[in-house]
Formats: sequence, structure tokens, C-alpha cells
Amino acid sequence: MEVRISPQMSLMEKLNILADAAKYDVSCSSSGSSRKGDGTGIGNTVKAGLCHSFAADGRCISLLKILFTNECIYDCKYCLNRKSNDVPRASFTPDEVCELTMEFYRRNYIEGLFLSSGILYSPDYTMELLCQTLYKLRTVHNFQGYIHVKAIPGADPELIRKAGFLADRMSVNMELPTAESLQKLAPNKHRKNILKPMRLIQNGISANKNELALYRNAPHFCEAGQSTQMIVGATPESDYQIMSVAEGLYQKFDLKRVYYSAYVNVNEDKDLPALPGGPPLLREHRLYQADWLLRFYEFTVDELLTEDRPNFNMMIDPKADWAVRHLEMFPVEINRADYQLLLRIPGIGVKSARRILAARRFGNLTFEDLKKIGVVLKRALYFITCNGRMMYPTKIEENYIVRNLTYQKERYPFSMDGMQYEQMSLFS
Amino acid sequence: MEEKYLVCEDSLEGIFTGIYDAYAFREGHEHIHIQIGEEENLKLFATYRYIFPDDVKTGKVIGTIQRRLGMDIYVALCKALATDDADKGQAVYQTIVDALTRGSGRRVLENVSNPYVEKTFNLCRKTGNEIHRLMEFVRFQELEQGILFSKIGPVCNVVSFLMPHFSDRLPLEDFIIYDEKRGIFGVHPARKEWYLVTGQELKLDERLPYSEKEESYRDLFTHFCRTIAIKERKNLKLQQQMLPLRFQDYMVEFAEK
Repeated sequence: MEVRISPQMSLMEKLNILADAAKYDVSCSSSGSSRKGDGTGIGNTVKAGLCHSFAADGRCISLLKILFTNECIYDCKYCLNRKSNDVPRASFTPDEVCELTMEFYRRNYIEGLFLSSGILYSPDYTMELLCQTLYKLRTVHNFQGYIHVKAIPGADPELIRKAGFLADRMSVNMELPTAESLQKLAPNKHRKNILKPMRLIQNGISANKNELALYRNAPHFCEAGQSTQMIVGATPESDYQIMSVAEGLYQKFDLKRVYYSAYVNVNEDKDLPALPGGPPLLREHRLYQADWLLRFYEFTVDELLTEDRPNFNMMIDPKADWAVRHLEMFPVEINRADYQLLLRIPGIGVKSARRILAARRFGNLTFEDLKKIGVVLKRALYFITCNGRMMYPTKIEENYIVRNLTYQKERYPFSMDGMQYEQMSLFS
Repeated sequence: MEEKYLVCEDSLEGIFTGIYDAYAFREGHEHIHIQIGEEENLKLFATYRYIFPDDVKTGKVIGTIQRRLGMDIYVALCKALATDDADKGQAVYQTIVDALTRGSGRRVLENVSNPYVEKTFNLCRKTGNEIHRLMEFVRFQELEQGILFSKIGPVCNVVSFLMPHFSDRLPLEDFIIYDEKRGIFGVHPARKEWYLVTGQELKLDERLPYSEKEESYRDLFTHFCRTIAIKERKNLKLQQQMLPLRFQDYMVEFAEK
């Protein structure tokens, strides 16, 4: 097949076009796989991941995040690279991607490669190109660093399997939380086609786990798992719907991460919101906070949101919001509470909870010790006791606590001097 | 009882020798202090002893720590000693006392209600964070013969912690990491073990002879970093919080600022 791009475009121009086109993909993590170099090539991976730089928007630059090509046969309304947009188009060759990855990697600019692509000619053709690139990188250049590759929905299962054995992480983007929204904004994509490769990868990973248990040296299939991404704010779904989808994905598809991307208005279209205040960043932030609660704090979506309260409180974070609505569980005695209960206290995270458990073995903990451990006392003090005492005399009352938690400048509660102030009420 | 101050050299050997001698007094540990470098304000009712680094004593202390407390604690203590804190010697000494003499053993670093242990724990974490950040932010530049060279200016002495990571990552490359604040070079010849060179001065006044293609890759990456940012989400404060200015000075993508 002939290539449509004028060949005289320089590497710099291509990189600019194709990095620009890839920037709306959120995932840039390089975590989840841990591999030593074997001494014959280049690269290793670190379990926690490494962020090599930070861009002007504060997001990390961990991987060389590029599209293979921004040519696309699809016409998704939210996408800059849709067929009907008149933007400069470019395609890399597999060799160019390899060159950039290798030269950036040995200078420690990047942790690996994130390769996505627009759909050139057909899903199969595109996936084949991605596989070719990864194969070259892994075998010819002996690259052992991190690779994240997109599975193209609709591509041949065999190609996706092949890519899985070459990559550390794969992802298929959900794009939008419900099938109706997808139908409306991405008429060429179908929910079934998105979930199919996701299931394929999930099955690949679990089959691979069994293989690895039997044969230690069996090749790894997506060691770092799979992730996905949803656009937030382009369609009218509530936070409850979005989080329910995410919970479903974690439980039914064993996903490592679900990313939320505040919708950035790149195209003018009658089906898209105008968003005069910029992308809904605070909403995205709340969704991520809730996502952490699902994955590390043993919360369920139904505890955080309900049909009647379908959206997160913009004033306080989901965990504090849950706590003030469940004041009957508080205050919690730090020296006795179990791990699950400690995790539910605002101001105590996974690390501090673990440290509390460890430090309790050496004696009773005081507020001073909690401070050393890293507990955020100005949030936690409304919900805890140490040896039966609270830090300051505080009221356990929803309005009072919310007021104090949202009052940014005040570090300690209003009434720590022993005086109680209250809004005068004339009509009660 | 009289306070004893053991004045040690600021090195692993110096401090471990001091700890050996502190135990050798057999007088309990409340009145013995390990001090690094010369004190300017001498205390009146205290004796000062100068400790000279001794390989045999150092070896014995290291052996005891590794055998009785394990490798993890040993590495943690080394990390605490890699900081530039003035009281690190005393903190590490008292942590060892807490572990060996008071019996908290391998769990010693969890006993944060002991202020010395807490301090050691925090120092160890400080170095740990510095190591992690430099694993991310070290930038190699290719010199003419294909050698990769990197200059860093960390607040802790971390070169020896960085070398294993990069040797595993780039086994076929000749590379050098140079700590310009301490004059320490970590050198890794291709396919061989890495080693440290100290006490050498590098004249960086002359421009280093960069390879032909170095500049073009630097430009490519600088442009990549600029392009990948979403301008609607611009947040320079967050960028600086994640990547403090003291690192940016050494990074190619921020050179033009």
C-alpha cells in the first residue's frame, strides 16, 4: 500500500505533530512491572515507575507519548484528529519510532514508549504496524524498558495477543461511560468492539499467570496490566454513572487503572458542550479521589454516591464527605481501631494507617506521635481519639465539621481556645 | 557523669568507628555523643575525643548491623548517613542502641516515638526521595567517543546509590555520573562493574566535546516536552512542585529558560 505522507517531512516536524496529537491520552504511568536488565541490551523497569520530567501543565512525562500516525478513518466528534478536521497529518516509520525511543532512553529522558495511533486504512493494518514497531524495538534493538501500547478496537485478536507479549501495559479507551453517548459522539465506535479486546487482554493476562506459575521463564503478557480512559464532561453522565462503570471495569475486567480526562474543547460541534470555564478539572480531581477510595481504601461506589445524590460534593473531598455523613462511626480510638476503620478516617492514608499499626506495637500512641507518623491532624482531629481523649474539645456535628474542614486558612478548629461560638438563630 | 563527645570524620568509616568506640567504653549510652566535624562552641563540662577512621572497627560494626539487624536496616542507616545533616551521627548511633541494646531489633525504624529513631527514619527517607528523583531527573549527554556524561548537584550523597540502577539499565554503555558538589564520579565502563572516583577536579570551564547528534536529540526532546503540555490545563505551580528548580538547572529541556 502506498504511504500518503510526503516523505520529506523532518523527524522534528513529525514528532511535533504526533506528540501534539497524542497529548490528550492521559495515561503516562510506567509502573506495575519490575524487570532487571539481562545485561545484553538496554533497559529495565522499576515497580513504582519513574517520571522523567514534568510538562507546563504539571503532568508527568514518563513515556515518549506519540501516535504512530494521526491519519484516521473515524470521525469522533471530540477528537482533534477526526477525519473531517483539516489538520496537518503525519506518520512515523517503525525505524523512526525505534530511533527516538532508543536515543531518548539512553539519555534518561524517558522511561519507555507509549504508542497509540489513529486508524490508518483499517484496524488490522494499524495494529499490524504497531506490532511491527514493538517487535523491532524488542528484538533488533534489544529494548527492555517499558512499553505501553493501545489495542485498536476491531483488530484481529491474534495481533492483539502478539502486542501483549511485546508490551508491559495495554489499554483500550472506553472514551465515554455509556453506550448512548458513544453512539452520539463516536458513531464509528461501538461499545461491544471496545469491550472485546479488553476481555481478550484480561484473559491473556490470567492465562499468562498460570503459565508463569508453571514455567518461571515463560514470556510475560502485559505484566503491568491494562488500563482505560473515559472523557468527563463532554456528555451529561453523572459522577455516579461514571464511577459505577469504573467499579464494574475494576471488578469484571481486572483493570489496573481507569483514567478520567476532563474534556478539552478542541472541536466546535453542536453535540459538544461549550465549557466557557475551561475543562472541568475539579470534577476530574474528585473522580480520581473516589477512584483511589475504590482501589486502596476498600470503599464501594454505593457508599459514596446514590441515585439521589449522583454527584460529588465540590466543596469537600469524597472521603471527608462520607465521614461527615456517617458521624455515628466516630470518633475512632487510634490505639484500638482495625486497619479498615483507620483507612476511613479523613487525614489518614494507606501509609499512615500501616505505620500506626506498626508503631502501636511499641506502646500507646499520642497526637504527637501521629503527627510524626504523617497523619494530617487538622483533618483527622474531628474523627479520632488517642487514649480516649480528643485533641481539642470539638463538636461532632456535620455542619460544624464541614465548616472547619472547608475553612482553608484556619489550621485548627474555631473553638480550640475553649470558647464556643455559634451563629445566632432568631427563629428557633 | 561527664558528657563525652566523640568527634568523627564525616564519612561512613568515621561514624562507624565512632560507634564502635562508644560501645567500647562500656559506660551506657546516655552520656556519649557522636559529633561530626569540629565543634565551634566547646562545652565546658565535657571531654572531646578525636576518632580516626579505622577499617577493622568499621568492618566489625557493619558486620554486626548486617548480621543482627539485617541488610534492610543497614542500607537504611547508610542512607541516613548520606544526608548533610549535622546530627546524623548521633541519630544513627542512638538508633543502633535502640535496636541492639533496648531490643527493638529489626523493627527499630517503626519505633517512631524514640526521637532519634524518628530522625534517622526521616533522614533515610530524605535520601531515598533524593535517589528516586535523581533516577528520574539525571540527564546524560553524549560526548564525542559515545560516552554518556551527566552532572548532578544533589543535597545528599547519592552517587553510590544511583550507580547500581543505571548499571543495570545501561549495561552496554560507558557512562559517568558526576556530583559537582562533592567531586565524586561514578564511572561505569561498558560490560564491566562500576566504581567511584573521588578527589578529582573536573575543569568544566572548557566546553565538553559533545557528539555530533547530541544537539539534535536535545532539541527533539525539548520540543516534545513543550508540545505534550495541554495549554488549557497550564499549571506552572504544579510543575514546579513536582520538579523543583534545583533539579531543573541540570536538565536539558529547561536549558533555554
